[in-house]
Amino acid sequence: MKVQLKNIWKIFGPSPKHILNTIEASNSRADILADTGHVLAVRQVNLDIAAGEIFVVMGLSGSGKSTLIRCLSRLIEPTEGQVIINGRDVTTMNESQLRELRRHTVSMVFQRFGLFPHRRVIENVAYGLEIQGVPAAERRDKAQQILELVGLNGWGDHFPHELSGGMQQRVGLARALAVDPEILLCDEPFSALDPLIRRDMQNELLNLQQALQKTIIFITHDFLEALKIGDRIAIMKDGLIVQVGTPQEIITNPADEYVREFIQDVPRSRVLTAGSVMKAVSEIPGFSKNPGILTTTTLQDLIPLVAALDGPLAVEDETGSVVGIINREIVMMALAEQGATE
Amino acid sequence: MASLSFPKSTSKRKIKPFWPVVVSLLLLLLLGAAVIPELDLFPESWNIGLREPFNEFKRWVVINRTTHWMFVFFFEPLSNALDFIIRLVENFLLWLPWPVTMVLFFWSAHKISGLRLALLVSGCLFLMGMFGLWEASMQTLALMTISVVIALGLGIPLGIWSARSERVEWMLRPVLDAMQTVPIFVYLIPVVLFFGIARVPSAIATIVYALPPAIRLTSLGIRRVPADALEAADAFGSTDRQKLIKVQIPMAMPSIMAGVNQTIMMALSIVVLAALIGSGGLGDVVLKALRRLQVGVALEAGLAIVVMAILLDRFSVALGQFSVINQASFRGFRLLPDRWRGIGWVDWFENGLDGLYRWIERMTNRLGQLLPSPLKPYQDALLFGAFCLFFLFILLLSGVDSFPEGLNLEISRPVDALVSWMQVNLYEIGNTGLGTGPFRDFLIIRIFLPLADFLTNVVPWPVILLVFGAAAWQTGRRRLTVGVILMLLLIGLTGMWSFAMDTLGQTLVAVIICVLIGIPLGIWASRSNTVDRLIRPILDFLQTIPIFVYLVPVIMLFGSGSVAGLIASVLYAVVPVIRLTNLGIRQVDQTILESAEAFGSTSWQRLLKVEVPLAAPSIMLGINQTIMMALAMVIIAGLVGATGLGLEVVQGFANNNLGRSVEAGLAIVLLAMVIDRITEAWAEKAAQAANL
Repeated sequence: MKVQLKNIWKIFGPSPKHILNTIEASNSRADILADTGHVLAVRQVNLDIAAGEIFVVMGLSGSGKSTLIRCLSRLIEPTEGQVIINGRDVTTMNESQLRELRRHTVSMVFQRFGLFPHRRVIENVAYGLEIQGVPAAERRDKAQQILELVGLNGWGDHFPHELSGGMQQRVGLARALAVDPEILLCDEPFSALDPLIRRDMQNELLNLQQALQKTIIFITHDFLEALKIGDRIAIMKDGLIVQVGTPQEIITNPADEYVREFIQDVPRSRVLTAGSVMKAVSEIPGFSKNPGILTTTTLQDLIPLVAALDGPLAVEDETGSVVGIINREIVMMALAEQGATE
Repeated sequence: MASLSFPKSTSKRKIKPFWPVVVSLLLLLLLGAAVIPELDLFPESWNIGLREPFNEFKRWVVINRTTHWMFVFFFEPLSNALDFIIRLVENFLLWLPWPVTMVLFFWSAHKISGLRLALLVSGCLFLMGMFGLWEASMQTLALMTISVVIALGLGIPLGIWSARSERVEWMLRPVLDAMQTVPIFVYLIPVVLFFGIARVPSAIATIVYALPPAIRLTSLGIRRVPADALEAADAFGSTDRQKLIKVQIPMAMPSIMAGVNQTIMMALSIVVLAALIGSGGLGDVVLKALRRLQVGVALEAGLAIVVMAILLDRFSVALGQFSVINQASFRGFRLLPDRWRGIGWVDWFENGLDGLYRWIERMTNRLGQLLPSPLKPYQDALLFGAFCLFFLFILLLSGVDSFPEGLNLEISRPVDALVSWMQVNLYEIGNTGLGTGPFRDFLIIRIFLPLADFLTNVVPWPVILLVFGAAAWQTGRRRLTVGVILMLLLIGLTGMWSFAMDTLGQTLVAVIICVLIGIPLGIWASRSNTVDRLIRPILDFLQTIPIFVYLVPVIMLFGSGSVAGLIASVLYAVVPVIRLTNLGIRQVDQTILESAEAFGSTSWQRLLKVEVPLAAPSIMLGINQTIMMALAMVIIAGLVGATGLGLEVVQGFANNNLGRSVEAGLAIVLLAMVIDRITEAWAEKAAQAANL
């Protein structure tokens, strides 16, 4: 595991440590605030994040997701619990070890970009290298490379305010990538952008990830964004993680009413795949393999097939062996929000 | 003012026992004063003799200056070091041939901001020379430079420290607040006590006085750096030091540079006062000329101070823009302050300058094209060389050492002639009984003297205490009431009662005039953008130029004395009441005005029933500031012979009776604090009332 969070709590208030011991599982966040004046931002979070995955933490504003991501590099000090990165306990690091971690291992992209207005784009990108003491010429070269990577070639000598929002966030991304971190923390990086720009940036991030293979922890309040970007998603509510899983698992098997609420707005045909709705079968009783349906085919692409062809169709995995069947009824039931499990 | 308006407003409030108590106390005191003489005039025998220990201490200082460790190891070395540096800079500036100084200023101004500033700066310097005040100006410039550099050297680090530590901020804030309330003069007393009278104490007084804006604006700038930039810096693993140097200070730079500018202006505003304790330079020229009633010379030196203020102000503003030149806020440099943008003549002037600038640029380009091509890259250098040659030419004509006398612009003689003409002809115009003489006599005989007499001799002193106490009580703050009475009592106990009453009377007259002029003007300015635009530069000007300079034209007309002091006080103190009345009315919520309109209010009804009541807190604040500024003028007025506490302070200095200065200075501070706290409390009360 690249990053492990063990029993992370964050309580804001006059004496958080003391309050921590008095909280019981049944106490709601509102009660604790009313009774003790303490805000329970993050509550008993346990997560394992693998190297090279995009792990999305999704929740509405006030759910504690921004606090949680800041606990990772101790921009906010967790009240309780351990953060383990590359097998080392971050929570016990001293100041200089922590600084080293932030300089080389963990990097961050911010919602409001957090660019330095008094520095040119290239100086912003080179900031992380500069404070590490990298010589000027070297860091300029490196920053230049990264700028090209995020598609900002030729903008280095401008100031941030001369750039559009989308371009500014590219600078933010470049600044984070310039130090070549293993872990990238993204705190709602695309929330402040227009929908079209946001889609571009999401694609851009996915493309970059293909090449760079970082471990990315990505915060968002946009469920569709989480589905699109995330290899796995954790859904947060009132400081608690209510469900962790792949997009498929969450769509097909929401943990509670709260998660179901989000799913209602999702265009299911674009998320659900043949693999997630099919009826699994191991033996092959001779169904038609004609259209060549894969487990990863989305329902959107299945609908014309099941509409045209009667009878069950075979679903294959990557190796070409049949793993399940699908028919018109299964597809329609899945679209009607009654997952195959119900 | 507050104490005058209070009976009317309190009659509406339902504090029943208040009025009977006040009235019966008043009757009791009046009765008592008739029987017991101690309750009538403040008894001399109660004097606690504050002045003696101070004079004693001063004597002790004089005797022990060469022996006591405190002086030998601390004050003397400090003083010597500072003196050494000041002399070094001064001698250097005086040693430099004046054309070289001008070229240096021209060149650096050109580097910083371009031809415009360069022309302005060298023009200012030239004017100082033309007044025949080159040497005095260089002395002042040296003292200013050293004081400002030291003030910034202390102030900026202190500001940074206080931005980073709540504790330091908590400790500094009340000190800085107090420094702004206390009249300038009070700083001089302890400085003189330890350093005597010379350049060094003037520098120290200037440093102390100019320090607060450097601290405040540095701290403010750093505290206002957005949290997200700091978080980003943290997230990349910046050390505290890196965060400070690479993020916080650069982002706070505009605010810090504003602090630098204000520090310079503050330092310059006490040039004349610093001359009282031996600064020399332009201030000294003004002071001596005023004492000898050479109005023309005083005016020249006063103008030279104004010119230097303009020079340093514009130079430091340009410097600020230079350091942030890469930021969004950078626009074309303007000679006149940015907030005057949009005023007709200002824009006209700036556009004219732009035209001139472009014309010069075109001309030099054309000249450049005439150059043989190998020389073209050196066009600028050649231009600069030609400029130097021109100066060399003047230099050869006039000699290097002193500013050429042939260029002297003698305004003192015509001014003196004008003054004597005015003294003869405006003193009384015909036999109408109108003119400056009768006006002055009327003010002194009919108003000042009777008022001072009324306050000191007619009204028994406890009644004054009662009136102030009652005014404080009405704000609902008991501790304030007790404090006010104790502070006033202390004035009496130091033997300054009658002087304080004289000053109180004059201040009262000045403030009433300010309010009578200021509130209508403020209302007018709030109604008419034209008026607003017209008076804004005038108000700015009145606040920028050193206090002392007001006095010169006033003395030209009215001679020295209380009337000159009064008029200078009014000119100086009327600004905030105009500003804050204007501001208060302009800030009234538009929807409230619409609803007043919807009910069919006339313009007057809207003003009196809606706008003025809602602007009352702001207006009260303006009156508060006006009173404080009028009191700050007390000592200055004393310098030109206005009676009261100011004259006591000045004469104490002049007669080597420091104790007397201390007593009078203390009385001014106490009076200022009493009135400040009461009017401030009233302003807050008005704000609460407006919210309800």
